[in-house]
Amino acid sequence: MSELEKTTVPSKCSRCDRPMAEVPVCDYCHWLNPAAAGADYFTLLGLPRQFDLDEEWIRGKFLSVSRYTHPDFHATDNPQAQEMALRVSAAINDAYRTLRDPANRAAYLLELLGGKSSAEDRSIPDGFLATMMMMQEEIADARAVGDKSELDRLRDVLATQRDGLMRRIAGLFGEYQEAVACQAIGTDLLNEIRKQLNAVSYVKKLLSQTIAQPAAG
Amino acid sequence: MSLILGIDLGTTNSLAAYMTPAGPVVVRDASGNALVPSVVAFGEGGVTVGAAARAHAVENPLATIYSVKRLMGKGLADVGGDLKYLAYPVVAGRGGMACVKVAGREITPQELSAAVLREVKARSEAAIGAEIRQAVITVPAYFDDSQRQATRDAGRIAGLEVRRIVNEPTAAALAYGLGRKGDSTIAVYDLGGGTFDISILRISGGVFQVLATDGDTHLGGDDLDMELIELIASEIRDRLGRDMAFPPATRQAMRNFAEAAKIRLSSQDQARIEIDLGAAGRLERTITREEFEARAAKWVDHTIEHCRSALAGAGLTADRIDQVVMVGGCTRIPLVSRRVGEFFARVPYTAINPDEVVAMGAAVQAGILAGVQRDTLLLDVIPLSLGIETLGGAMGKLIMRNSTVPCQASETFTTYAAGQTSVDIHVLQGERELARDCRSLGRFQLRGIPPMPAGAPRISVTFLIDANGILNVSARELRSGREAGVQITPAHGLTSGEVDAMVKESYTHAIADLTEHRLIDLRNEAGRILAAIDKAVAEVGAVMSPAQRAAMDEAVGDLKAKMEGGDPDALYAAMKAANEAAMPLTQMQMDQVLQKTVMGRKIDEV
Repeated sequence: MSELEKTTVPSKCSRCDRPMAEVPVCDYCHWLNPAAAGADYFTLLGLPRQFDLDEEWIRGKFLSVSRYTHPDFHATDNPQAQEMALRVSAAINDAYRTLRDPANRAAYLLELLGGKSSAEDRSIPDGFLATMMMMQEEIADARAVGDKSELDRLRDVLATQRDGLMRRIAGLFGEYQEAVACQAIGTDLLNEIRKQLNAVSYVKKLLSQTIAQPAAG
Repeated sequence: MSLILGIDLGTTNSLAAYMTPAGPVVVRDASGNALVPSVVAFGEGGVTVGAAARAHAVENPLATIYSVKRLMGKGLADVGGDLKYLAYPVVAGRGGMACVKVAGREITPQELSAAVLREVKARSEAAIGAEIRQAVITVPAYFDDSQRQATRDAGRIAGLEVRRIVNEPTAAALAYGLGRKGDSTIAVYDLGGGTFDISILRISGGVFQVLATDGDTHLGGDDLDMELIELIASEIRDRLGRDMAFPPATRQAMRNFAEAAKIRLSSQDQARIEIDLGAAGRLERTITREEFEARAAKWVDHTIEHCRSALAGAGLTADRIDQVVMVGGCTRIPLVSRRVGEFFARVPYTAINPDEVVAMGAAVQAGILAGVQRDTLLLDVIPLSLGIETLGGAMGKLIMRNSTVPCQASETFTTYAAGQTSVDIHVLQGERELARDCRSLGRFQLRGIPPMPAGAPRISVTFLIDANGILNVSARELRSGREAGVQITPAHGLTSGEVDAMVKESYTHAIADLTEHRLIDLRNEAGRILAAIDKAVAEVGAVMSPAQRAAMDEAVGDLKAKMEGGDPDALYAAMKAANEAAMPLTQMQMDQVLQKTVMGRKIDEV
């Protein structure tokens, strides 16, 4: 098993002693695993630890795990089990919210793989800042005069830019996976992913500015 | 296993349903009626609830309490815009909480809603033939934490263990989607008496996943009634003078006329209104549907804006919606279904009774919680972002809106002074940037922090939103490992001690108080009537015939005698009689230049 696929599935359910396939809950007796609330998001949803994941697949996993972990399913259990269902279910919902969005999934996986956080490394790709400053000015101008079609155009430009960055990030994760598979060191790749992700956050911030906000209310 | 009742606690009407192996069943009375008007009347016979209470609204406007849902969990400052819908006085209770003043007593919206819930519970127990102790109660999806807590407290006061607070559009989706196979994305458009919700859900394999919800807790059928009231009022003012102030009884009467006209205009092209203006004759008016729609359009446009926003929150476009389910009495208005149909480019689904579908869905959720509906699961969301006030008065969001519940967020706090043992946290809900523009849910005080130098303690606070959409806070000091006590001061809610006290408080006590207060109020009113009659006699007394004068003198004498007695009913009757006997005087005054001021005062005093 490679490092990327490592999980913390306990081998057996602590109540019925049957082998467990998923981390949060036993398939047979629906007993919740107390360790689930602390498990990483990929493990919680029973997903491989990789960037390239189909969104419908993530959703399918989320729904099937939720079915037996949700507090409503445990509403007739004892208070301890209900409390655990609440915590585990909250963790699973956090996991789904994080993993279904590609940029958040990339950021989460990056830190899980030992990459730097955005607070530790604020670097951005060369030449990126100049482009963004220009875009920012154009947005400010369009907003000042309320030019809706210009804002729409800028939004399209930014969305294209974001998608391009995300494709590059997907490629870098692929390269990293290969590097690890041949026992190579992937630190440079992780640093590059951080740089690209910082750029994505920047683009997203600008994107939110292109959505006209009501003056008040 | 004990039965869990599903209750739709509405602005205008409430009703219940329960789960059976064949599906949800609505509770009905002997004549097939499911709806209990959400009206509480305080009268000489005690507290009445429902249709009987509603019938009293015109003759006793100040003691007939309706639409109390608009006040739930709110401060008086927050309900400003809602007050124009209410004929009864609303005052600031403890901590500025909006309370209703009835016969000199302040009553919380929670207690009033509890009275409605008690009635619904009693009717259900009679219909089902078993005692009910547990319930699932619905709220508008856009209700914030305080409003949800207030609803839960109302249930407790009514003697119900509230197993779940469930969102109305979500409940409707449960009732609609139960037993349907396949994967579909639906929109639930819920326009009720006082609130509007739009929710987008994806239903797959028995899992109901809410993708996004949006709405307005100040938008509903009452607003449409108000448009008609203003239309009627402006025409009355045209006749009787611009400054005409309408006393509570008149406002209540106009409200009833407006509501009846609105309902009529859903099936007819026009509605006729006739109002007795006393001496000024009658107002007869035919309102056409075009006229109504012209006035209603702006409200319907608002709902469409919310639909747009909900779709954006779900990351979908209108063409991705497979079905639009219509909920709430107002969706019967042709203009509403037309506009909704245009927006989603499909004919809305109206096959389920829009008044009953929410209660049926609450019963389904009750079935899930009772363990009898194991193949169904509801994944709902928090409608408004939750955050805390940060330095400089900004709103620091911790949990984003449309997050699936339950969900949690943690934040680490520290102290600003050496030896500081408590930290205050201001919790907010809303989407605006500044704390002052968001709803305040209350201040949480972290206590029991071990004395350390400034900045040394690290207090980790966990904000957990449970499946009800209600916030739970826990805190831990990380360095010492000590659990920090959390004291919650709700901004506009009841503390658990207050709820307990209300649960215990017997209703009989309240009624005794009430009779006493009613007598005092009636005596004051009678005094004002006598003064008005004296004034009228001095001004225009000559217009009366000797017979009229004798009758009036007799009525006045009787009124004076009843004011000394202890019977509020007799006093009320004598007041009415004196007023009627003095009618010729009032009419004369109205015909004169002084008409509007005297008319205003006269009706005020009835």
